[in-house]
Amino acid sequence: MTRRAFAPLVGIVVFVAVWEGFVRAFNVRPFILRAPSSAVNYLWKFRSDYLDAAWVTVQHSMLGLLFALLLAVAFGAVLASNRFLERAAQPILLLIQVVPWIAYVSSVVVWLGLGSAPALFMVTLVCLPAFVFASVDGMRSVEPATLELMSSVDASRLEVLTRVRLPSAAPLLFTTARFNVGLALAIAYYVEGANFSNEGIGNIGRSAAANNQADRLWASVFSIAVVGVVALLLLSLLERTVLHWHAAQRTENR
Amino acid sequence: MSNVALHGLNKSFGDLEVLDNVSLEIESGSFVSFIGPSGCGKTTLVRVVAGLEAASSGTVLVDGSPPAVARSHKRVGLVPQQPGLLPWRTVRANAHLLLDINRAANPPDAANPNTLLREVGLGDFMESYPHELSGGMQQRVALVRALSLHSPLLVMDEPFAALDEITRSEMRLLLNQLVEGRGVTVLFVTHNISEAVALSDRVIVCSPRPARVVADFNVDLPRPRARDIEDDSRFVELCAEARHALHGAMRP
Repeated sequence: MTRRAFAPLVGIVVFVAVWEGFVRAFNVRPFILRAPSSAVNYLWKFRSDYLDAAWVTVQHSMLGLLFALLLAVAFGAVLASNRFLERAAQPILLLIQVVPWIAYVSSVVVWLGLGSAPALFMVTLVCLPAFVFASVDGMRSVEPATLELMSSVDASRLEVLTRVRLPSAAPLLFTTARFNVGLALAIAYYVEGANFSNEGIGNIGRSAAANNQADRLWASVFSIAVVGVVALLLLSLLERTVLHWHAAQRTENR
Repeated sequence: MSNVALHGLNKSFGDLEVLDNVSLEIESGSFVSFIGPSGCGKTTLVRVVAGLEAASSGTVLVDGSPPAVARSHKRVGLVPQQPGLLPWRTVRANAHLLLDINRAANPPDAANPNTLLREVGLGDFMESYPHELSGGMQQRVALVRALSLHSPLLVMDEPFAALDEITRSEMRLLLNQLVEGRGVTVLFVTHNISEAVALSDRVIVCSPRPARVVADFNVDLPRPRARDIEDDSRFVELCAEARHALHGAMRP
């Protein structure tokens, strides 16, 4: 673990050092790019505000992600066993995926009003299609011989789902979750800034941008970055534990 | 103890006729092999008996009831061509799989898969995962998985086809040891004549598609079958007989 963590740490240190050096050497205007040291200083000074805000953003993004995942498993179970429904659902899912969420998010905010509802709704909606596609593909990837074995003892549909289809879909769902983490954070951040509910990192960021407060803005960028990195680390840890049997997890020190 | 009876069995997939009027009586506790050219329909025949495929016409009775009933009572143990082990389950959990499913139908006298695993030499591999096993070991787990049901009928579809010759002959010996004295009826599909003769009490030769029974003979070799059964002159005779029947069936 220590050896594995060493190279990424070097990468981060070099990146931050170059950034700091660049801002100092070229005297970049604070609002365009803030030196990491001053953003971190500001963040430290107002750490309890940012911690509270981060906790709100974590809930918006991760709960939304979880809702999307649970819905996708339920939809996937139905769509994987019914070609007609799958074909019927495809255009709807593709629309959700290709229409930029940012185009209609304001309407959703007006519709659902203040508080967490619009953020949760948007994260769930936009993360849903990729999860559904992964869930359908994964559940279909079961070997015919395995399904036959299950039917040779009259396994119920629920047993086939929980014992065979769901574990088969897990690797693809994890891969999709890693992509969706970034998306979920972006949506949560944006919606928090859009509905003036005075919660979440997005709200701090948006009002900082509107009031030309460079330190406050870049501290919010830093804190959302930390949330993202921690979320990804926890996700890979979970993946490594749950999918230890999977070929992609077996090769050590790649 | 199972008794399988087929009467006037026909099966077609669309225009493709696969089984042509097959009638057979299979005695309880006997080991019956089906050999025939590849693609002849012998696999379909045993799949119909296992209730995985419905016949187009004719009747199939397993212990006097239709295959679907036998299946719902978990009275058929299936050993497929590929072991089909679940990669996220340990050897022990894979061996327990069929007992974990549809528990209500488990027989009261179900065998203990752990004991069976030790019996087939996998005692030290209970906590291993399938990817850590060789092909022969994986197929042994598949055997244990089917035997653990203590079902009176085992349906085996070319279970050793993917194995190398050395592993294959080991598996033959092991299978003989496992079924002799258990009183289980075995339907065994293969295209290997010596495998069929070494294992069986009865060998049924099928024609090219659509499958008909072209020869049906008893294997009068003593049980338990010895390790060197293949050197026996009677074994050689029986293999020749089966080969002639097979070649006769192949001629137009």
